Amino acid sequence: MSTILLNEISEKLQRGKAKDVAALVEQALAEGVAPEIILNDALVVGMNVIGDKFRENQVFVPEVLVAARAMNAGLKILKPALAGAGVEPLGTAVICTVKGDMHDIGKNLVKMMIEGQGIACIDLGVDVDAQVIVDTVKNNDVQLVCLSALLTTTMHGQKDVIDALKEAGLRDQVRVMVGGAPVTQAFADEIGADCYTLDAASAAREAVRLIREMRA
Amino acid sequence: MKLTASERFARYLSGQCVDRMPAIEWAPWWHLTLGRWYGEGLPADCAGVEAIQDYFGLDKCLQTGVSYFTPASPVVIPGSGVGCMEDEEDWARIKPTLFPDVRTVIPQSHFDWLQRTHERGDTLHFFTVEGFFWYPRVLFGIENHLYSFYDYPELYKEMCQAYADWLVELFDYVFSRFHFDFMSFAEDMSYNSGPMISKECFDEFLAPFYRKVIPVIHKHGIPVFIDSDGDITMAVDWYASVGADGMFPLERQAGVDVSTYLDKQPQMSFLGHFDKMCMKHGESAMRAEFERILPSMQRGKVIASVDHQTPPDVSMENYKAYVALLHEYAAKITHQGSNITPCPVFDTAERSKA
Repeated sequence: MSTILLNEISEKLQRGKAKDVAALVEQALAEGVAPEIILNDALVVGMNVIGDKFRENQVFVPEVLVAARAMNAGLKILKPALAGAGVEPLGTAVICTVKGDMHDIGKNLVKMMIEGQGIACIDLGVDVDAQVIVDTVKNNDVQLVCLSALLTTTMHGQKDVIDALKEAGLRDQVRVMVGGAPVTQAFADEIGADCYTLDAASAAREAVRLIREMRA
Repeated sequence: MKLTASERFARYLSGQCVDRMPAIEWAPWWHLTLGRWYGEGLPADCAGVEAIQDYFGLDKCLQTGVSYFTPASPVVIPGSGVGCMEDEEDWARIKPTLFPDVRTVIPQSHFDWLQRTHERGDTLHFFTVEGFFWYPRVLFGIENHLYSFYDYPELYKEMCQAYADWLVELFDYVFSRFHFDFMSFAEDMSYNSGPMISKECFDEFLAPFYRKVIPVIHKHGIPVFIDSDGDITMAVDWYASVGADGMFPLERQAGVDVSTYLDKQPQMSFLGHFDKMCMKHGESAMRAEFERILPSMQRGKVIASVDHQTPPDVSMENYKAYVALLHEYAAKITHQGSNITPCPVFDTAERSKA
C-alpha cells in the first residue's frame, strides 16, 4: 500500500501538483510511513526523475520549477516529522550568485534541486561579497560552496571567493562548485574549483557526491 | 560592384552576388569595455554607437527600439528581473496603461533621421521590439514568468494577444513610413543547455502570436531575426516554423555550431557566431576563429560578427585587429558562383506586390 502511495507522491511531484503532494505526504505520515522513506522513496525519487529528464531536454525550466515547488510543499509537511525522527540533512551547502551579478534564476534552480536531495541550503542571495561567504563557512558546519555567475564580467568573482577561502584557511574544509552560462570546465579548472556542472540536475547529483566525499 | 549598405544586406540575404559581406556589430559595446578603451586611447568625444562604429571603420548598423509602456505604466527596472504584475487582477489594472498610440512612439524627427542616414548609403537600420517570451517576462518578472506557463496559462495568452494586436498596428504604421533593413525580436529564451521552455510550450504560448505578426512584417519586405542568447539549436527550428528569417548572436560558448543550422534551415540567415572569448588572445587566435566560420560564410547567409558584446578583457589593440580581420574575411565572401538559398521574405514581398 505504501509503495502505491509513494509512487503517487513521486508522480504528482513530477507533474508539479504542490497541493496534491502536500496532502499525500500528510496521508503517508498518517498511515505510519516513516518520514525518511517518504523523503527518499517519494520526494527525492521524483526530483531525480525530473533532474534526469531535464538533463535529457525532455522537460524544461518551468517543469523543474513547478516540480521543485511541489517538493518543497511536501518537505514543509515532512520536516517536523524528520526532525522528530532524528533524521539529519545529508549536509549543508552555501549557495549564492557572486559579487556584481544580480541573476538568480540559475542559482535558485540549483538550490531547489540540491534541497531535493536532502541537503540543507544557506542561500545568501545575489551580488554576494566573498567575505560574506567566508564568514558563513566559518560560522556554520558547511561542506559545500556553490557559486553562480551569469556574466563574463562577473565570473571572475568565483575565483575571488576561492582565493578568499584560501586566505582564511578554510579552503580544505569545503568543496567549491561553480556554474553559470559563461562558466566552463576549463575555467573551473583554471580558478581551482572542485566541480563544474552544465545544469542544475547534474549540480544536485555532484553535490551529493561531494558532500559524501567530505563526510567520509 | 558598388553597393549601398542596404543593397548589400538585401542582396546577401537574397543569396545574390555582393562585393563583400556586411562588416557590422549589431550590439552596442559594454560600458566596462569602453571604459578600458578610453584608457587606451579611444578619444573621449567618441561616444555613442554611430561614432564608435565610425571610429573603428565598421559598417554602420543602428537600432531603433520602441516600448509598449507609457508614462502611466508601472515602473519596471530594466535588468532587475522583477516584474510589475502577478495575476489577472494586476493585468486588468496595468493593461490600460500599456500600448501607446502607435503614431506617437517614433517622433517625426527620428523618421527624418532614419531617411537621411539611409540615403547616405552607409548605414543599416534595424527595428527591435520584445518577443512573446521576453515581453511577458518583463511584466511577470523572471521567476513568475516561468511559473506562469502553469499557473496562469490563459492570462499569458491574453497578454500576448493584446501585445500582438498592438504590434500589427505598430508595424503597419512604422514600416509604411520607413523601410528598415531588418527587424529583430528580443527573446533570450535559451541558456547554455538549450531553450528554457519546451517545444509544446513554444507552440502553445508563443507560436500563435508570431504567426500573427510575422506576415505583417513580411508584407513590407522586411526580414525578421530573433535575438536569443544561449544554445538555440532546438529553438532555431521552432522559430523557422513560425516564419523567422534569421537568428543571432549564435553564442559559440553555448556550443552553437552554425554549420549544422545551415544544413537544417538553409533558408535562414545567421548573424554573429564569432567567439568573443578568443579575442583577448590576439590576432592569430582571432584568425583561427574566422577560419572556422569561413566555410559557413561561403555556403550560407552567415554574417560573421562578435557573438555578443566584446568583453572588457579585450584590449583596444586587439579589437582593432579584430575589425581588420573582419574586413579581410568579409572581402572573401561575394557568393559569386555559389548556390545560396534565398531568404523567403523577399519572395513574400514580391508576391505581396503582385
